[in-house]
Amino acid sequence: MKTTREKKMTCPTKTNNAEILMDYCAGTLNPARVDEFVQHIQTCDGCRRAVEAQREVWGALDGWTPPQVSADFDARLYSRIAREQAAPLWKRWWLGVVNPAGPHPFWKPAVGLAAACAVLAVGFLVRTPNPVDAPKQIRAENVDIEQVERTLADLDMLTPSRL
Amino acid sequence: MEAVAAFERDAELMLRVREGDDTSFALLLERHRGPVVHFLYRMVLNQAISEELAQEVFLRVYRSRASYEPTAKFTTWLFRIATHLALNWIRDGRKEKGNESLNDDFVEGMERQVADRQPTVEQELLYEVKLQEVRQAIEELPAKQRAAVLMHKYEELEYSQIARALSCSESAVKSLLFRAYQTLRERLAHMA
Repeated sequence: MKTTREKKMTCPTKTNNAEILMDYCAGTLNPARVDEFVQHIQTCDGCRRAVEAQREVWGALDGWTPPQVSADFDARLYSRIAREQAAPLWKRWWLGVVNPAGPHPFWKPAVGLAAACAVLAVGFLVRTPNPVDAPKQIRAENVDIEQVERTLADLDMLTPSRL
Repeated sequence: MEAVAAFERDAELMLRVREGDDTSFALLLERHRGPVVHFLYRMVLNQAISEELAQEVFLRVYRSRASYEPTAKFTTWLFRIATHLALNWIRDGRKEKGNESLNDDFVEGMERQVADRQPTVEQELLYEVKLQEVRQAIEELPAKQRAAVLMHKYEELEYSQIARALSCSESAVKSLLFRAYQTLRERLAHMA
């Protein structure tokens, strides 16, 4: 029979709440929830297997030690900083604009907007019909009725007579 | 408490850098040089490139010192820049720069670590195989998943920090991590 405390924990693997599992294995799960989760994995095979597998991954990743940072790293950096500081003010400003300290520089949306405007402008110029080349509309008031009648009579003459 | 103290200390140092104190910049560099280079190394799997990118990270920090405002954790900002540079490098340069040099670098780095511990040839080979598998498993993850795992596992950043570094929501980060760990569990489970 399950205790009331056990009933509180819904299965993380079934409820798409894997955060509990990841936090538990990383040792960052809220202490108040640790006991709850420990009790849960005693009765849930799916979660217990997931915890074991996650711990194995954690252990494998622990074994990957990157190489030491080069001894001249700082010297190279300070040399670059000094070179940059010696550059003219406009160049330093420009470097800050094109290499910002954030992934979304302020000018990027403006570039997109400007490009979109340019495309629209070109499209407008290309697609707008020239008023000179536009076909002339036949205006009803300019049609000569007599001329139409004559034309119809000529057509009638050219038509072979019915037998 | 320690994290809060470190956050305040970093922000304090950066504010001093803003005022023109280069000694504070040296202290920040001392504190964060290792984590940034190691994160970038695990992202690009090449020591020379990871150091080059890390230099660019610190250069950008120094360059924007005048406009610094302590609105977020300094480490979040730092890893945001580092992640952006690494993802750009992976997107733009991976094919041109090739993988040959990465493997050379990998063996070189490993030999140095092995030499320190004086292992037997068998241990050395086993270590080499395991490390190669870990490296490959990480390398095969999509770049954003890789960045999320590295920041979560090795740098111990919070979900909110990873989210800011990757410019996405916290729930997206949890989803990225879940999928990444699921893939790694399948690929590395036998290594226990």
